[in-house]
Amino acid sequence: MNVSAAVALSAFLFFGSSGDKPHLSELHIALEGRRVEASFELIDGFTEELFERIQTGLASGFTFQFILSRDQKLGFENKLDSSTLEVTAMYNAVTREYLVNYKQDGKLIDSRIAHDREELEGAMTRFSDLTVFHLGDFKSNKRISVRARAELGSKTTLLIIPTRIKTDWVRSRRFRPPEGQP
Amino acid sequence: MSLRKQVEQRRKDTRWIVGGLAVLLAALTGMYYLTQRSQDLPSELVTNRVLLFVLSYINLTLILAILFVLLRNLFKLVIERHNRILGSKFKTKLVATYIGLSLIPVLLLFAYGSRMMRGWIDRSFDQPAWQQAAQGFSVSEGLLDQLVKYRTHDTRFALRQIESLDSLDTRRSPDLQRLLHRLLEDLGLDSLAVYDRTSYVLGVVDPLSGLNKVPEPGEGILMQAMRKAPAMRNAQALRDANAMREAQVMRMVGVGGGEELMLTALAGEERQDASLPVVVAGSLLDKEIATERRQFIQAHQEFRQLEVSKEDIEAGYVLNFLMVALLILLASSWAGLYLARRITVPIQALAEATKQISEGDLDVQVDVDADDELGILIHSFNSMTAELQRNKELLEESNLELVTSNLRLAEERVVIAAVLQNVDAGVISVDEESFVLTCNGAALHMLGQKGVDVVGMPVDEAWSDPERQKLAQLFHQEPGASGRISQPLRLLLGGAWKIFEAKVTTMRAPQGQVSGRVMVLEELTELVKAQQMAAWSDAARRIAHEIKNPLTPIKLSAERLLKKHQAQDEDLGQVLEEGVEIITREVETMKGMVDEFSRFARMPQPVPTEVELGSLIDETLSLYHDIKPGVAVEARVEKEAHNAWLDGEQIKRALINLLDNAVEATEAPGTVAVCASKSNGNLRIRVEDNGRGIPPEEKGKLFLPHFSTKRRGTGLGLAIVHRIVSDHHGTIHADDNKPKGTVFTITLPQQ
Repeated sequence: MNVSAAVALSAFLFFGSSGDKPHLSELHIALEGRRVEASFELIDGFTEELFERIQTGLASGFTFQFILSRDQKLGFENKLDSSTLEVTAMYNAVTREYLVNYKQDGKLIDSRIAHDREELEGAMTRFSDLTVFHLGDFKSNKRISVRARAELGSKTTLLIIPTRIKTDWVRSRRFRPPEGQP
Repeated sequence: MSLRKQVEQRRKDTRWIVGGLAVLLAALTGMYYLTQRSQDLPSELVTNRVLLFVLSYINLTLILAILFVLLRNLFKLVIERHNRILGSKFKTKLVATYIGLSLIPVLLLFAYGSRMMRGWIDRSFDQPAWQQAAQGFSVSEGLLDQLVKYRTHDTRFALRQIESLDSLDTRRSPDLQRLLHRLLEDLGLDSLAVYDRTSYVLGVVDPLSGLNKVPEPGEGILMQAMRKAPAMRNAQALRDANAMREAQVMRMVGVGGGEELMLTALAGEERQDASLPVVVAGSLLDKEIATERRQFIQAHQEFRQLEVSKEDIEAGYVLNFLMVALLILLASSWAGLYLARRITVPIQALAEATKQISEGDLDVQVDVDADDELGILIHSFNSMTAELQRNKELLEESNLELVTSNLRLAEERVVIAAVLQNVDAGVISVDEESFVLTCNGAALHMLGQKGVDVVGMPVDEAWSDPERQKLAQLFHQEPGASGRISQPLRLLLGGAWKIFEAKVTTMRAPQGQVSGRVMVLEELTELVKAQQMAAWSDAARRIAHEIKNPLTPIKLSAERLLKKHQAQDEDLGQVLEEGVEIITREVETMKGMVDEFSRFARMPQPVPTEVELGSLIDETLSLYHDIKPGVAVEARVEKEAHNAWLDGEQIKRALINLLDNAVEATEAPGTVAVCASKSNGNLRIRVEDNGRGIPPEEKGKLFLPHFSTKRRGTGLGLAIVHRIVSDHHGTIHADDNKPKGTVFTITLPQQ
């Protein structure tokens, strides 16, 4: 095997094929008072492998990362805040139920029970009006935006090299923070 | 930089490297943990993956450390080889050997070990226990599904019965409770409840089941039943087992005591009064069956968890093994490099020190700590250099002393040369092989030669002519016990006779061996002439005196005769006779005296021939037998001396003169002996007596003409003897005999 073939094989193993690549759908942002609510869907992220893993009883799921930033000139951004949403599913094989926990910035905010795969996938990948930031007393004339990505876990490359699987960042539309007192 | 500083620097480097690696490892680990904490992932999610990441970071750190150590040493080796530092080639070989010895086995072990480990993991998933657990799980879940299917049918039957009622309102439909009790009994259920959508309507429990109330199914199962109602109807129509399984709504609820209640729910169609019946049927599972099922589920899930984590497990094991292998590799390569350094540093130091010594710097010491054979070598090397340094200092001191001595000797030599050049005596030195070393100006002047013709030449070549050969012969003579030879020489040089007194002294080295000889040559020609003049003057005086002595009686006799004749005494005749007799006798005396001088004056040059010396001595001694009563004469002639090269008549005359004196001086009883012997090419004749001897003050004048201790002697006897011996180129001297008497020794050179 020559060097170029080895490099190509390594790249294939590392990046995998480009088809059905997990990604986030369009990130919709709505302002509810000074709360920033996000609606989005993780597409092609709930894989058979993940479901199999959940079926074994292992706690598995995703971590969504959100960054609130303000536009700057020359393409630089000014990071204002960040948050994470961890969605973890655990299967109870005795009761044949899936417990889905939601933690935002490390705090449990919700738990749901799913009874089948479809319900579980929806609970783990589809989010509507999820409060991701609270603007508080933040004031700015400049527009702000939210970008998000999902971390789908990790895999091992070349047998021993662990690597994280992440989607690309998606950015919401730009919006101005609401005026007035919080 | 000194060797010690270099070694200390290396030690410092090692400590820095160890500290640096430790800090790097800690920093990477801490950084990774901080990263994880910042993401704040749930521990149950990240634990295994965190382990993998930690292991991979540790391995990465170890790989970097190994690469750093190896590349650092390789870089240093390349630099050292480029700079041609002593010992770099040896160090390269040693480092390559150590790294190879540590790298190759560890890599082979890792490759083989990781392959074995993966094989072992694969085999561990094929264990019969796992398979049995999977089969048990499959059977239990299959049975449960079958039970669910039956209960679903029962529930469906119950739903149809309930749907046949006019209303779900218990007030308008009092038969509902009876129906539920009948269904409960007929279908063998443990509980049965009716809901209008999610609102509880009515439920019953089997009093024998142990349930004390209708179990709460939860809103989820009701919602799910309503959601799956169409699917259930389709599945029923299709009689598809999979669709049926998908459409079924079942829940397992723990009721305490280890028992589980299986709830199956089915939703009917919306009724005219907008109600929607949902029936939930409950069946208790036996405690043992529930427990067995849980165990099967637990075992199967554990296996499945391992199975889905197989890749991670393999990676974890391989990473662990890789970490151990890298640690071994790092330790072994580091140890190899350390050992290589432990060997090469002293050798390098020794090589550098040797180079400094070869450049003349003996004040070098190898200051490297080593407690093995290299330490012994270094200690020996340092001792050797110290000894060399001491010897060098001693040599320099000796050289300084030698230079001083040489200067002093040179000065002394100049003084001696000046003295030798300015002394009147000739001084000639030869080495032990008779080569002329020095010959001062006085000697060259005496011998009429130039320095270039003499100095550096063998004595036989320097003095090859017959006259000067006498000098060479003196150097060849054995000096005897005294180490000295003293001999007069009479040489015909430049047509004139020159008389020398030659004294040869043997030079000996401090160890006693002969290192050469020195001849001191003193010219006596003028002195001898003066002595001869004085002697002749004395002789003339004595002759005059001797002649005057007979003249007085002659004169007195003549005057007496004249008076008697004038007086015409009658005794004139008698007086005349007496006077003539006296005059005649005195004239005869004077004539004898004149004849003696005449003979002395006319003595011819000797004509040497081969002579039987023994016969000559016997013949001479025969004249003295019985000449003096009580005095014996005898001859002792050695066999080698029977034949001699000499003028027989002249030697016989010399012997007669010596024997006359000896016999005359010896009183009876006494002995006079003539001895003859040969040695070193010389004939030696000794005339010994045990007479009265010669006073020391007279020995110097014995051979002067007209010197005599006898009252009536002419004083020419010993002078004639000396003349004869000299004409034979020999010597004569008188010594005291022991215990008394005199010994005259004649030495005559033989051809």
